[in-house]
Amino acid sequence: MISRASVVIIGGGIVGTSIAFNLAKMGVKDISIFEKSYISSGSTGRCGGGIRQQWTSPMNVRLAMRSVEIFRNFKRDVGMDIEYYQGGYLLLANTDEEVIDFENNVKMQRDEGLDVEILTPRQIVERFPFINVEDVKMGTWCPTDGHANPQIANIAYAFALKRMGVDVNTHTTVEDIYVQNNQIIGVQTSKGYLKTNVVVNAAGGFSREVGVMGGVEIPTHSERHQILVTEGVNHILDPMVISFHNNYYVRQTMHGSLVMGQSDKNPVQGIDLGHTIEFLEEMAPKMVHDFPFMKHLHIVRQWSGAYNVSPDAQPIIGESRDVSRYLFAVGFSGHGFMLAPAVGEAVAEMIVYGSSKTVDISNLSIERFKKKIKRERNVV
Amino acid sequence: MKEYEAVVIGGGPAGMVGASELGSHGVKTLIVDENDIPGGQLVKQTHKFFGDHEHYASIRGFEIAEKLRGDIQGLADVEIATSSTVIGMYPGNTLVYAKDDDIEVKVSYKKLLIATGAMEKQLPFINSDLPGVYGAGAVQTLMNEYGVMPGKRFLIVGSGNIGLILAYQLLQSGVEVRAILEALGKIGGYLVHANKVRRLGVPILFKHTILRAIGDEEVQGAVVAQVDDKFKPIPGTEKELVVDTICIAVGLTPLTELAEQANCEIRYIPELGGYVPVRDERMRTTNPDVFVAGDISSIEEATTAMIEGKISALSMIEEIKDVNLEKEIERELDTLALFRSGPKSVRIRSGLKKFGVKQRPVPSSSQNGLQIGPAGKLRAIVDCTEEIPCNSCEAICKFNAIHIGENINSTPVVDYDKCTGCATCVSACPGLAIYMLKENPDTSTATLGIPYEFLPIPEVGQKMWGMDGNGNYICDVTVKRVIKNPNKTNIIYVEFPLEFAQMVKHTAFPQKSSPIICRCEEVTLEQIEQAIDSGATDFEELKRLTRVTMGPCGGKNCKLIVLGILSRKTGVPISELSHGTSRPPVKPVEFSLFSKGGDPK
Repeated sequence: MISRASVVIIGGGIVGTSIAFNLAKMGVKDISIFEKSYISSGSTGRCGGGIRQQWTSPMNVRLAMRSVEIFRNFKRDVGMDIEYYQGGYLLLANTDEEVIDFENNVKMQRDEGLDVEILTPRQIVERFPFINVEDVKMGTWCPTDGHANPQIANIAYAFALKRMGVDVNTHTTVEDIYVQNNQIIGVQTSKGYLKTNVVVNAAGGFSREVGVMGGVEIPTHSERHQILVTEGVNHILDPMVISFHNNYYVRQTMHGSLVMGQSDKNPVQGIDLGHTIEFLEEMAPKMVHDFPFMKHLHIVRQWSGAYNVSPDAQPIIGESRDVSRYLFAVGFSGHGFMLAPAVGEAVAEMIVYGSSKTVDISNLSIERFKKKIKRERNVV
Repeated sequence: MKEYEAVVIGGGPAGMVGASELGSHGVKTLIVDENDIPGGQLVKQTHKFFGDHEHYASIRGFEIAEKLRGDIQGLADVEIATSSTVIGMYPGNTLVYAKDDDIEVKVSYKKLLIATGAMEKQLPFINSDLPGVYGAGAVQTLMNEYGVMPGKRFLIVGSGNIGLILAYQLLQSGVEVRAILEALGKIGGYLVHANKVRRLGVPILFKHTILRAIGDEEVQGAVVAQVDDKFKPIPGTEKELVVDTICIAVGLTPLTELAEQANCEIRYIPELGGYVPVRDERMRTTNPDVFVAGDISSIEEATTAMIEGKISALSMIEEIKDVNLEKEIERELDTLALFRSGPKSVRIRSGLKKFGVKQRPVPSSSQNGLQIGPAGKLRAIVDCTEEIPCNSCEAICKFNAIHIGENINSTPVVDYDKCTGCATCVSACPGLAIYMLKENPDTSTATLGIPYEFLPIPEVGQKMWGMDGNGNYICDVTVKRVIKNPNKTNIIYVEFPLEFAQMVKHTAFPQKSSPIICRCEEVTLEQIEQAIDSGATDFEELKRLTRVTMGPCGGKNCKLIVLGILSRKTGVPISELSHGTSRPPVKPVEFSLFSKGGDPK
């Protein structure tokens, strides 16, 4: 651990490591990053790994499209194969309301420059014959969507940071952030104190608590989402498939296993990483119904992770108005992994240039909650 | 025509013991053997034999042959005809043999002992005539007698003692044994023999058989398949093994032609190995002048063959010399009954019953479980839990610390108050089933002394791999002490982390190809070490990077081994490393288990 850092990043998940990576790439020296456990121990290491551009908010679409550009070259730029696969995303509409909603979304997404197709149930079966479409009214399909291995992506960033000379501290807890006259002066960690004037809160599930350390109220909360993985089988499922109505997402990893999850009816609030039998009981019948081939597939493991949720289910990224140079990239509401490459770039630009350059993300600032907000609807 | 009081056909263990007994009683005896040197199958056996010390237990086969040869060569009344093949039996107690293929010799006898042994059974499969398909004994002959290694990658069909011993000898010679196939669901031979090859990484595939050899000019592979309870191959279970040699070790069949020609009644008794001469308890056939001993009468071990050789000889002497040897014969019959009283001889006992030869009453044997002994003391762990006729450990222990008792088939019981840790039993045990163990809590290490019969002999300070009973890598070990024994069963003492005290069973030199640590996900030691070298510091990171422990077993098999590797590379003790979170299901379950959407409360 160094004693004086130009930037302190709190959180060693995909967002924190991506910010540190982009800063280091831009030539910033003496960056310190703190992770209270191991790399990928939080939400990144527990997430589904989807990389989707089909969102209902234009901002999310833009950030996701920029991320896809970066993911395409991830192996070259970060140095590890993260099992990135552009097998597309197939969103299923099961109700008439969803059909109208999806049609409007596709119009907006196309305006943003995204290549999205609308598929009839028959077209879906022709392309993906293993899906039971008896309850499906329509699908939207974006071939450049895909997925990757989030754990490896996170660790790939961390290994790159070590190579680039970033001060990476795992198993180190940030205990306090010292602020004087609205200026940050330093950070107390479980391994000692270090001076800094810039802090980035990328603490995921703990974003609110880390906000309080610097005297900043962040309107996020954490809730538990459960997930499971099956045994590996031959490649059968090209796209990641989501049904908001039936409440699931599923993808097949490059290893062959199928990863899937849902939103529990009344998700446990806070950081609780336990698991329930109800999750398996709810998942199994609906997955077997929509994907009959799964009937005799084996479930190998279930686990859970925390969604760090914001009031409009969109991330909160920017600098605090109250404490100078206290930035945050939090509240990703379950889609932090897929946005992280673009967010890392944007936050690094904010720190170095004062504002984001590649993608203008000024409307993701915390200030938006002072006005009326529009909620992102495409969330499982 | 030369006349002899007794003629013995066959210079194996049964014939040589018989000839030696005849000769030492002053019977004018000829022993005829078709090989250059008598010894039979013993001359190609490099492993130590089971049994008791009276019958050469703990001595290697070829050395037993030397001793038996020495016995008969020193007897004035015994004449030895080597390179001599008996070609036929003729009226008037006459036989003819061909000496060196070109001299006809005619001899007559008063009494005859036929100890011709057995030959290997063949197994019909497609392409079984390709060069590269051998009987197991043929490979032993090539390798151990002539110093010729017929292949590099072997498949052995049959897990009887011959197949198991051959596998071990092949591994000692530095070639690869891809698998041993066994049509039954259990080991055919002794468990200790099986353990010897399993810990060297040779899989024994139960309920498997060979379907065909692959190749045009020579063997290039084999197609094997699972079989059902009726030994019928199960379609869809076929797999190919890349091998260049296939050894058939599916059993032996008695060589009874000469007995038949000598007017002995032959009967088909499958329990004894097939067609065998009918004989009484004292080995006399239906021809009163003709006796049999060894594998011709029932397929068994060298020990029983030697005892039978002695019984027939004593019976012959009684009549030739008109003496009463009742006591000696009774004693040998009792010994034979003891050797045959274990569970491994069930078939032999029921086969002999068909001749009216009943098993004599013997003290019962007992099967005792594996004793671990008091932790922290340097002590012998005797991993010998199958009842087989052997008491060499009990006999060798100077401190009376190992007890077998009256029945030689009982498994050993160790008295740890008396065990001094001298390790004499380790090098004596024919099954290589004894090792020394000591836990060292101060240094968090364990010291293990294992019997080692490979070359080169490791040197003190050398790093080796510690392997488990199935030949899987467990952890790195350091050689601490090397004891070179005159009987070539050397003892290698190695040290490794205490956590693995009960897991390491063998050591191997580090190989170029990295061992698989996580068998579910096929993750190698090298991949794990590379992940650590690139910066992974936590078990969870290793897991996410390499998929180690993420397969169907959930890490039950390899988690501790992975933690051991991480501990060794990072210097953090295993006890201080996080070992992840256990999640349901503990065993993979199908989605269909939850098809009802939940058990109603």
